[in-house]
Amino acid sequence: MYKSITFALTRTATAADQTAEAVKYIRRKGRSDLSARGEPFLWGLGGALAFGMLMIFGFLALIVWNGLVTFYPKPVQVVTLSDGTLLAGEPSRSEVYKPGPQVLEHLDEPARQAIAAEHGYARRTLFRTGNFDLYNEDFRWASDFSIVSVAEPADVYFIERIEWGPFVGFIRSLNLKGETVSGAALTRQILEEAHRRAVQRRELIREIEREEIGAVNHRLNSERLKLKRIALKQGENSDTYRQAAAESLALQETLQGRYHDLARDAQAVKAEDAQYTVTLAEIGGRGKTIPLSQVVRFTLPNDMSFFEKIRLYLSRWLEFLTDEPREANAEGGVMPALFGTFVMTVLMALAVAPFGVMAALYLREYAKQGKLVSVVRICVNNLAGVPSIVYGVFGLGFFAYICGGTIDRLFFPERLPNPVFGTGGLLWASLTLALLTVPVVIVATEEALAAVPQSMREGSLACGASRWQTIKYIVLPRALPGIMTGLILAMARGAGEVAPLMLVGVVKLAPELPLDGFFPYIHLERSFMHLGFHIFDVGFQSRNSEAGKPMVFVTTLLLISLVAFLNATAIVIRNRLKRRFLIGHF
Amino acid sequence: MEAARKIDENDHTVYHIKTTGRGPLIETEHFCLWYGSSQALFDVSMDIELGLVTALIGPSGCGKSTLLRSLNRMNDLIDGLRTRGAVRFDGHDIYDRDTDVIGLRKRMGMVFQKPNPFPMSISENVTYPLKVDGIHDKTVLAETVERALQGAALWEEVKDRLKDNALGLSGGQQQRLCIARAIAADPDVLLMDEPCSALDPIATARIEELINELRGRYTIIIVTHNMQQAARVSDNTAFMYLGRLIEYGETTRIFTTPRSAKTEDYVTGRFG
Ligand SMILES: Nc1ncnc2c1ncn2[C@@H]1O[C@H](COP(=O)(O)OP(=O)(O)O)[C@@H](O)[C@H]1O
Ligand SMILES: [Mg+2]
Repeated sequence: MYKSITFALTRTATAADQTAEAVKYIRRKGRSDLSARGEPFLWGLGGALAFGMLMIFGFLALIVWNGLVTFYPKPVQVVTLSDGTLLAGEPSRSEVYKPGPQVLEHLDEPARQAIAAEHGYARRTLFRTGNFDLYNEDFRWASDFSIVSVAEPADVYFIERIEWGPFVGFIRSLNLKGETVSGAALTRQILEEAHRRAVQRRELIREIEREEIGAVNHRLNSERLKLKRIALKQGENSDTYRQAAAESLALQETLQGRYHDLARDAQAVKAEDAQYTVTLAEIGGRGKTIPLSQVVRFTLPNDMSFFEKIRLYLSRWLEFLTDEPREANAEGGVMPALFGTFVMTVLMALAVAPFGVMAALYLREYAKQGKLVSVVRICVNNLAGVPSIVYGVFGLGFFAYICGGTIDRLFFPERLPNPVFGTGGLLWASLTLALLTVPVVIVATEEALAAVPQSMREGSLACGASRWQTIKYIVLPRALPGIMTGLILAMARGAGEVAPLMLVGVVKLAPELPLDGFFPYIHLERSFMHLGFHIFDVGFQSRNSEAGKPMVFVTTLLLISLVAFLNATAIVIRNRLKRRFLIGHF
Repeated sequence: MEAARKIDENDHTVYHIKTTGRGPLIETEHFCLWYGSSQALFDVSMDIELGLVTALIGPSGCGKSTLLRSLNRMNDLIDGLRTRGAVRFDGHDIYDRDTDVIGLRKRMGMVFQKPNPFPMSISENVTYPLKVDGIHDKTVLAETVERALQGAALWEEVKDRLKDNALGLSGGQQQRLCIARAIAADPDVLLMDEPCSALDPIATARIEELINELRGRYTIIIVTHNMQQAARVSDNTAFMYLGRLIEYGETTRIFTTPRSAKTEDYVTGRFG
């Protein structure tokens, strides 16, 4: 058909007509071209998306699965090895490896042939044997060719201890204040009753040492500081000082007395506690006697119903969430870290929200939109890309040393040279993170403000409202969902940040929570624990990274859940707010 | 009518025909305005009569909105704005240094081209000017809502859903709500910038009716690009062209016996 058109055109064809005709020809021909239709690019884009999603979901699935199964009780296997020794432990994972020539040399013929059939490869399993105090290791490999038989005896115990990690083996006897119970007389009931009492004693000791002696120490310390303060202010020769010193010394005397009483009480309970012990035996028969109070729980993993396993699983989670860590963080709970992360994130949000919003309000609503504002805006955007460790250095230098040092000199002269605010702490960490995340809030707020239609502002101003009233009544409420989004992003970023925190207050093990019963109840100057740092510490700084691995997964799961929880809450709040502005026309 | 008068673009004569009214409320005197370096208003001098409806007509881009927004200093928001000459409201030059701009705006309600109700309830929209003034008395607020909505001929339609979000109203209702908001604090002047351009013919008729009802109570200045509308609702009409006031006088005279060739061309639909 278009040939005739071509013909019709050529009769009066000018150069322009010919060009137009050529273009038309290319256009019509081009329709069938695959690359022009863009299908391959579409496949590429879709593939990239799918790949990205797979990576993210695969990673999340790995964390969630490993995190969830960690606390589920695993069976304990007793393995008879070809050299006649026994090995008891939880099989934790198995892999294929290439045995060395020396190993092969000592093997019998069938085993060697089997390995040769697999091209020189054999399978081995890693057993969590526990009993670190006896073996000097927590894990042991056992190659399949060296295993003669595997059994799961019902009477093998998996005993979680306060120290030295788990014990895998049997209970030989129970020594209750000189009276020895063993054999058939040692029923589960007696064991549990004795253990319950031991745990009570452990808690009593802890209460005396931590709470009561802690309180006395705190008062003693504050008395000393008070006196020192007076000395610094009035001089040691003043009457006030002498009077105060006399009073203080008397009080200190009574407190010292109280301290000694408490220490004696604790000692007594400890002596009593030491008389209740349990004698354990590992699979090879070596014995080990430990105080009963050192045991966290006795479990018979091969002799548990599903219901019992679930109960154990839940109680381990509870311990994880509410207890303090032990064994160099590799066991026990993460409550201080969880609490520290939460408090720090909330403090950070409280600090970053007003700053970010005010800065964005000034930039967008008040400042004259010119070169200077553009430069400021670019700077703010670029601040978001500064490596976080740089903020850590700044936080340490500016907040801790300069601000904190000044505060110490002005308000806590009696404690010098010990720093109070002059070192890393919760407050400085929160402020450092606030600084780190403020660009996120500024950018999001500016966008939210820019999205408020100018007609709204004009409507308000035309009603005789001032600029500030317009912002307060019209602009801010409308921009709030967007501002919340920015805050969510900031909190998510802040909660997951570790590097700068290592410089400004996060520690491996914080003896005290930032919140306690001593005035002023919230201690912003204290160093604290953080889940992100906890992961790093457990996974890469502990004596045995294999033992810490499950803890790494659980803690990661917890950190991700915490961030997801913070985000979900903020998203719910934001959507509530948004609904108000999204009613369309009917 | 005289046959095709030649239009001279350099002829800047201003034709002031007699306007009806009780005397001027707003007077502009040789008012010039620049957006940055480009001049948008040239030497505009006109007296706006108290209690009447004044229409500003002219092709788009001729400066109608600019002039209207100069009257309550809404143009202050724009960076790089300069003015010369004077705009007197009630005898005071509003471009004086010590003018209370917020006080000025409180005496002038403004209705915009696109309805711009706030994302709040209907009653909160109406009482917004009172909220700004710090009035929180419940009975005063309730009375104001009823009076303003009745004034804007919207009361019957929304009296049962005053707590509903204003964004749920139809376009025409939203515009009447904006009129209610503009008259809620009982201003002296009502400035309307093409209030019907975003509305359908029925809603437009409704607003025009409303303007006729409000006549006499407020001094109304309405910008429109619709000449029939200007003819229907206004007492006086000003024709603007390229930032200049060309002709200003009684509406009937502007439409029947325009003095300027440009006015004649525009009102007879030869350009615009
Ligand atoms: N904010 C502004 N900045 C710069 N120029 C503007 C601005 N607003 C309007 N103008 C210019 O001023 C002239 C008059 O505009 P306007 O008053 O909106 O015309 P009308 O309302 O009569 O259509 C136009 O040329 C327009 O481009
Ligand atoms: Mg306009």
